[in-house]
Amino acid sequence: MADDSAKNTPVVDVSPSQSLSLIEPVRTLAEWITLGVTTLILAILVALVVYDWRANQSRPPAFQVEIAETARVTDGRYYVPFAITNTGGRVARTVQVTAELHLDNADDEAGEQQIDFLSGSERKRGSFVFEHDPQTGELVIRVASYRLP
Amino acid sequence: MRAATVNIWREELKAVLRGAAGSFLFGIPLLYTVEVWSIGSAAQSPLLLAVLGTTFIVVLLLTEIEGFRRTLTLHPIEAILESIEALGIGLVCAAIALVLLRRVTLETPLSEALGKLIFEGVPFSIGVALARSILSRDRLENRTRRTINRPRLLAAPSLSSLRDTLVDFDATLIGAILIAFSIAPTEEIPILAADIPPLWLLWLMAASLLFSYGIVFASGFSDRSDRRQRGLLISPTTETLVAYLVALLASITMLVFFQQLTLQDPWQEWLGDTIVLALPAAIGGAAGRILI
Repeated sequence: MADDSAKNTPVVDVSPSQSLSLIEPVRTLAEWITLGVTTLILAILVALVVYDWRANQSRPPAFQVEIAETARVTDGRYYVPFAITNTGGRVARTVQVTAELHLDNADDEAGEQQIDFLSGSERKRGSFVFEHDPQTGELVIRVASYRLP
Repeated sequence: MRAATVNIWREELKAVLRGAAGSFLFGIPLLYTVEVWSIGSAAQSPLLLAVLGTTFIVVLLLTEIEGFRRTLTLHPIEAILESIEALGIGLVCAAIALVLLRRVTLETPLSEALGKLIFEGVPFSIGVALARSILSRDRLENRTRRTINRPRLLAAPSLSSLRDTLVDFDATLIGAILIAFSIAPTEEIPILAADIPPLWLLWLMAASLLFSYGIVFASGFSDRSDRRQRGLLISPTTETLVAYLVALLASITMLVFFQQLTLQDPWQEWLGDTIVLALPAAIGGAAGRILI
């Protein structure tokens, strides 16, 4: 009786006396479904990797920096938010973004930001902080350098 | 016959959950490693395919010895099919873990998400193949159980059931420390906690409870009827909740021990760091309860 149920269902604790290697391996419907679903997942994954390879890997990094129109003022300091997008396909590391604020009636101010990691079409945000109102001078934000992985 | 049909599905679900349990237990340490994320993100597609292929071969070699379903040596074709399943289950678990810790979000570019997934998928898939070896108590069966053959009536609070509860409590603590102690002093905890929005922490708590419940009660590693006879923590839900509290307390203690949390830190940081570390602690605690 106990042996019959053991043949119908894959019992977890098979006693050593019942050698399954002698019995024809029985796959239940449930096991076939698991196999089908996992195979599908793996196939999709491989397809995505190949697609990404063909679509993106040939395009070197390129950057687009957007600056917010108005700065946020908190405690007398000016916060200028920016967003940097890697418009290329490949990854860039240690992307250096510099900001220079040229003022007519004061010393120039400069800021620097290093982004560790910016993969293809990834977008990251940050802010530069100035003592003077960026509207009163000329603000230049640009990407100075990056490293390939 | 009908009962047998139901059993097929339940046994299969148990087998998949067993694989998933091993997957999380083996994969968690590398999940909390910043280098793996960045190596994965920077990897190029040919390398990713090679990593996937290598992982398959390693999983196949492990499955040849012991699959996540059966202990006995498998038919060669059966071993290949089961390795495909192990790889698939491992990758799904890795994906769940990455989304849960917000290493992959809707804003993550495809190539970065694929890289992280495939690199984290390596330990997760190996964990599936090793699930039985790590977590199964079959090989410990020779050891006499402390509580074997205890009549159910004795499950009412008594001195000996109190002792059994303490054993469960102890096992949770040991498991939690074993897994989480090596993660607690690392920089990953504040990095992850900083990236997780406050409400997302609820998902993390829910997942910790679910994984803990799944490993102990749903995956069939330990015999439930046997467990029910033990201790004050009779209901599986209560046991899971208490075990999570133990995991939280263990996490907070370890974080304070390593000075990751100090009295100067805001309470939000205490909350975030603790819940992030309690996930591996809860998984370790669950493993501890089925092994000890």
